[in-house]
Amino acid sequence: MTTRANAPSVSVLARRWLGENATFYLFAAPFAALTIVMGLWPIALSIQTSFTESYTALSPQPTYVGFANYIEVFGDPVFTKSAWLTLRYTVLAVVLNLVIALFYAMFLSSVLLSRGAWIFKLCCFLPVVTPDVAGYIVWKWMYSGDFGAVNAALTALGLPEFGGVSQVSTVTLAILIAEMWYHVGFYVVIFLANFAMLDRTLDEAAHLDKAGFWRKFTRVTLPQLRPAITINSIYALIQFLKTFTVVVVITKGGPGTATNFVSYYAYRQFDQAQYGTATAMATILFSVIMVLAFALYWYNQRRDWR
Amino acid sequence: MSRDTALRIAAYGLAIAVSAFFVFPYLWMISASFKSTEAILTEPLQLIPDSLSFKAYRDIAVMSGVGLGTYVWNSLWITLASTVITLLSTGFGAYALYRAPKLPGFGLLRVGFLLVIMYPYMLLVMPVYLVMFKLGLLGTVTGIILFLSVGPIQFFLFEQFFRSIPREVIEAARMDRASETRILFRVVAPMARPVVVTVTLITILLNWAQWFPILVISRSTDTYTLPVALLSLNSELGVNFQGIMALATLTTLPVILVYLATQKYVIEGMISGAVKG
Repeated sequence: MTTRANAPSVSVLARRWLGENATFYLFAAPFAALTIVMGLWPIALSIQTSFTESYTALSPQPTYVGFANYIEVFGDPVFTKSAWLTLRYTVLAVVLNLVIALFYAMFLSSVLLSRGAWIFKLCCFLPVVTPDVAGYIVWKWMYSGDFGAVNAALTALGLPEFGGVSQVSTVTLAILIAEMWYHVGFYVVIFLANFAMLDRTLDEAAHLDKAGFWRKFTRVTLPQLRPAITINSIYALIQFLKTFTVVVVITKGGPGTATNFVSYYAYRQFDQAQYGTATAMATILFSVIMVLAFALYWYNQRRDWR
Repeated sequence: MSRDTALRIAAYGLAIAVSAFFVFPYLWMISASFKSTEAILTEPLQLIPDSLSFKAYRDIAVMSGVGLGTYVWNSLWITLASTVITLLSTGFGAYALYRAPKLPGFGLLRVGFLLVIMYPYMLLVMPVYLVMFKLGLLGTVTGIILFLSVGPIQFFLFEQFFRSIPREVIEAARMDRASETRILFRVVAPMARPVVVTVTLITILLNWAQWFPILVISRSTDTYTLPVALLSLNSELGVNFQGIMALATLTTLPVILVYLATQKYVIEGMISGAVKG
């Protein structure tokens, strides 16, 4: 094996490898540092804290209590109620937002609005890019009984007053509307992008077959919209499961506990230095979101293969 | 023909009504910030007030002992600094991960990053309080800027762009024995203008709107930005309604202007970032 002698030595190879790749490590270093320090570390800390006694969480040697925080959280009736409220709200919000977004996108991409549709798209996307705090504060005051625009408009139209965010019976609807106002434009625009890619020849074929609107919609349009439906449902699910800002700004969990969703409840616990239970709730919510997102993704992938 | 015209008119009517639903709160907000208290109570729906009142803007000149200028400055500085850091870290990071995905550690970094962006943001903010506490950055603008610099969709926008560069372009430069730094700055960077503009705009909009991490990391109102100041003004007792609307207007209007001027970039960027992520 004389050729071996001519081959570069290991140290030369290592130096060359480093010379070629040091640049890439250098490029990735700030990104890696931020991801680790501001992302992975807090996640790890959160999980770690969920296994410790709350009042020792900030000390150098926290007391580990195993699953005690989790057991406490699951035994807490306020949390159980909060979890159900969150689930119910999420289902309502996802269905409402996606159905409305789908039909509005279909409407905006119809031939009837061949000119100027971009202005309508611009309008519905506007709330998505503006600060949510400001938007929700405006909604809070629009729902106000004394001089809010909502009841003034209803009264002007001769309709009964809307209880808004001050009554348990109407608060869910009130924040559903405010949140839809803020988020739905995003889903509309995703659907619109998908509509622009539809195969128009299928439409014509359906037309020649004298298929009715509903049949055409379910057999021709919907199957082609699967990419947008997948993306939107995953996004909406994650979005509404962690509903937070609207609660902080408008309802503070009330009236009573009517909008005390898990993320808000966890935050309140954290604010009261209940670090152990707060991070346990966070970990539970995170697990639920992960499982649901993956299940949804997997379900849509599987249907694609058929 | 006439049936077609009628349908068209109805369609435009409906589209305008729906658009009004999205735009009305902004008009109502701006209008209320210039109204007198009597005008608000008597004509809550009137969008153009009979007389303009600037009292609300004078009222919010100083809030909880801190001048409005401080909040504006914090908003501008925190948004600008975190945008620059996000742009550089995700831009270079995505480039490295795209060019050398098999380098030891890079696969792990990608998985770690995916985990971070999938973690619900507001739940991430709470333990960040603990991190800032341990780093001694609690209550500092530096801490706020660093946390805001972890961008969710910017990485994907950059990665998507790098993947769109023809392989031959980079291979040709490698054949010429150009260094990796040279390839990035002389070959790739000149093509990257559109993606840099898109990412910059989206990051500015996202970071300007941030409030929760800023509230959690802050120890006093000195490091509040406009949305956080707005939130704290809103939860004060004895509310000053017009003042709140005036501050909401100041918080929102700059963003609306940026959005209207650059809408194509913003909408398309947000969509492709979402589709990719």
